[in-house]
Amino acid sequence: MAAMTGQPLPRLGRLGRVGPASLTLLCALFFVLPLLAMARFSFQNVPMIRLGRSTLLENWSASSSLDAFGEAEFRRSLGLSVRLALGTVALTLSLLLPTTLWVHLRLPKARAFVEFLTLLPYVIPSIALVAGILPLKPHARWFLNSNYSLIPFYAVLALPFTYRSLDAGIKALDVKTLVDASRSLGAGWGTTLRRVIIPNVRTSIISASFLTAAVVLGEYTMARVLLKQTLPAFMEQYQDREPQGGMGLALSSMLLTTLLFALLGVLTRPRRRTRTPRLEIS
Amino acid sequence: MTALVFAGVRKTFGSTIALESLDLQLAPGEFVSLLGPSGCGKTTALRVAAGFEKPDLGAVSVNDRDITHLPAHKRNMGMVFQSYSLFPNLTVHDNVEFGMRTRKVESAERKRRANEVLELVQLGPLADRFPHQLSGGQQQRVALARALAVRPEVLLLDEPLSALDAKVRGSLRDEIRRLQLSLGITTLFVTHDQEEALAISDRVGVMSNGRLEQLGSPRDVYRQPSSAFVARFVGSMNELPATVSDTHTAVVSGVTIPIAANPGAAGVANGAAVRLLIRPEDMHLDAGTADAGTAEHRHLPVLPGTIVLNSFQGATTVVSVQLDGMETPVAVHTSGSESTGLSGDRVAVRIDATRMVIEPV
Amino acid sequence: MVPLLAFLGLFLIVPAISVFQRALIANDGSFGFGALGKAFSGQNFDAFVFSVRLSVQAALVGVLVGTLLAYAATTITRPKWIRSLVTSFSGVAANLGGIPLAFAFVALLGRQGLLTKIMSAAGFELYGGSFTLDSTWGLTTVYSYFNIPLMVLVTLPAIDGLRVSWREACANLGGTSWTYWRRIGIPVLLPSLLGGFLLLFANSFSAYATAAAISQKSLIVPLRIGFYLRGDISANEDQLGFSLAAWMILIMTVSMGCYWMLRKRAERWQQ
Repeated sequence: MAAMTGQPLPRLGRLGRVGPASLTLLCALFFVLPLLAMARFSFQNVPMIRLGRSTLLENWSASSSLDAFGEAEFRRSLGLSVRLALGTVALTLSLLLPTTLWVHLRLPKARAFVEFLTLLPYVIPSIALVAGILPLKPHARWFLNSNYSLIPFYAVLALPFTYRSLDAGIKALDVKTLVDASRSLGAGWGTTLRRVIIPNVRTSIISASFLTAAVVLGEYTMARVLLKQTLPAFMEQYQDREPQGGMGLALSSMLLTTLLFALLGVLTRPRRRTRTPRLEIS
Repeated sequence: MTALVFAGVRKTFGSTIALESLDLQLAPGEFVSLLGPSGCGKTTALRVAAGFEKPDLGAVSVNDRDITHLPAHKRNMGMVFQSYSLFPNLTVHDNVEFGMRTRKVESAERKRRANEVLELVQLGPLADRFPHQLSGGQQQRVALARALAVRPEVLLLDEPLSALDAKVRGSLRDEIRRLQLSLGITTLFVTHDQEEALAISDRVGVMSNGRLEQLGSPRDVYRQPSSAFVARFVGSMNELPATVSDTHTAVVSGVTIPIAANPGAAGVANGAAVRLLIRPEDMHLDAGTADAGTAEHRHLPVLPGTIVLNSFQGATTVVSVQLDGMETPVAVHTSGSESTGLSGDRVAVRIDATRMVIEPV
Repeated sequence: MVPLLAFLGLFLIVPAISVFQRALIANDGSFGFGALGKAFSGQNFDAFVFSVRLSVQAALVGVLVGTLLAYAATTITRPKWIRSLVTSFSGVAANLGGIPLAFAFVALLGRQGLLTKIMSAAGFELYGGSFTLDSTWGLTTVYSYFNIPLMVLVTLPAIDGLRVSWREACANLGGTSWTYWRRIGIPVLLPSLLGGFLLLFANSFSAYATAAAISQKSLIVPLRIGFYLRGDISANEDQLGFSLAAWMILIMTVSMGCYWMLRKRAERWQQ
């Protein structure tokens, strides 16, 4: 009840409120303005020199963006990126979920080590990673020639985010007790995983998947050097040809990412009922 | 002279009334506890005294000085919080010195006083440790030392034992009282644990919904609760459903009991349904054996019943008795050295009616 | 654990080793640190200087604004949705980057940019001086778009960890707001702030896509690596490219190592 007072800012007065509020507002502007600029460029066919109060409402059309969406190459690269995203999510989850579980259940002391491992992708950034891949090309030509060879590397790039997500979710459960209870009721490992663990870390799994998807859909560096035609790679090339259309694509990409995360926020909102883990094995 | 006075203090948060109108005076050196469930206003009262909340109405004064509008950092009060109040980046020693540094006490004197007060709480050897290296009980002792180091006029304690293990709670509780007595410092102690409040206070103020229900010595509050709320909150109570037959008697299970002088009797009308609240130790078992207690209780009203189970607890035995015509069994305390009957035996339970509290249903 | 180790080993460690291998072993098979040394001279040295300056600048801006924004989000209690809005948006924006971000800022602050035009109408010529979008300040502005949210995400837990009772105990013991921040608030936050700085530094240093889309000039180390890899600079100099990459890995190792230690320290106090 005493906490009803909120944050105690005893003698801050009006100045103390104005500061944080105006800062937040300024930041909001900083983050929204580029999007507005993109929208204006892609949808209004008026060159900047001629832009003024009188010409502000002239020539607005979505045609250049629609053309971009119509490009066959766009559809191909989008398709590839989406498939890569799905593949990376699948690989990440099938690799990390059992590992994280195992570490929590059997090797609690190794947690620090695994956390350290998940920082390694930061140490070897994508440009360095792809530099290291090139010399290996002759040895694994059959693998690296495929577009899907990007998948494991993307999984590596997304590792820090995905691990943190899953780890947080599993940490919030008392996994050991759940697993013990489940097994004492006769469930094998597979059933336990399917019916006990996964439903209760659903939020983390969704979160990890969305993060991975966002990383994959936006990854440019490795795709460029390895000459795979993913969506960002296509966007950059298209922009040279059709500036307006390219800008429209970029704007859609940013809006799509924002939407993805908004969706994620909705899906992972804490439910009103208490978050006691559910144990249903019938 | 009064050490700490709340005069008509009122505090609301939006539409919730945290304190209706608190009048409370602490004499110098007195240890007063504010006791009540969460939301009763006890913590708000403490925070008003400390300066973290401004009262809507009323005044607070210390040693006859009005401090109502004095900002928190200018009041000379020591406060111990429920938990985690030690500054994590400072050693125990630096934590204890903190209040003196803000008061610009010079270095040698600071050190001396810090060591002195750490000795008082018996944590001298741990002066160079950091809070995260201490146990919960040790942390609270450091917090106490830190509050006392500035030689405050009043000591405020906000449920300092609630976050601790049961074992630590008991010993630290007594330590706080011993310290307070030896230093003679006026203390206001807030807790929801009635056992704590009764054990160490000079006076106890039982609060509910922003109001001070009863203020008195621990014995008074326990033995003469002024209302059903206080009766229930402090210690445990048995409930006997009854009906008021005329304004001076209540009928329970066919037995008529006078209730004119009992707390809570004033407001009830004829025919009203009430609950008679009575403490387990104010009920006595009369099994017809030659027990020493039976003779003096022979004049008390009697209710027949059957023993459900005995729970031996060392100094006492708690006998659960199903009284005839009632749904819930009552608990009766008898001395642990006496033998009681077995489950299923018929007994007569004598009620000390002068100790009952009447509660309307 | 084994599958994870094997996976990382194959797809992360092996390429990393091959970077060092190609950096230290020349095309004729000779082993030497010469290429590493050469990678630190001439135009490449300029690139290192530029990259470090850019990363430090971007990190400082990110730390400053990000911390203040995170603090603002915790202090604004009405309306209640501000805090979750800031958090979720930070989650989004920290991952927005690369190509679209570059385009966005070209549209906003490029020579034909919207804001450039607005400022010019108000009398301020953005491109009147030496400013370009691919200068350190230009790129700092762009990088701030993902650095500030990243800092918010990293710092919010630390600011939440500043317990109310510390603030109150400080006041009770006679300290003002200033006393609190000076002796308790900032010292406790410091490991997180420094850690955040290192994270942003590492993030900014290794960023490739955004800068690549903004500028054709190979001013920063990642871009030069890219150019070497594509054979744009000189076909026989690719050992230099690998040396640059090796240097990059070393710099990142040091940064992330310090970050790791600071993180551990901060966690100790967050109990």
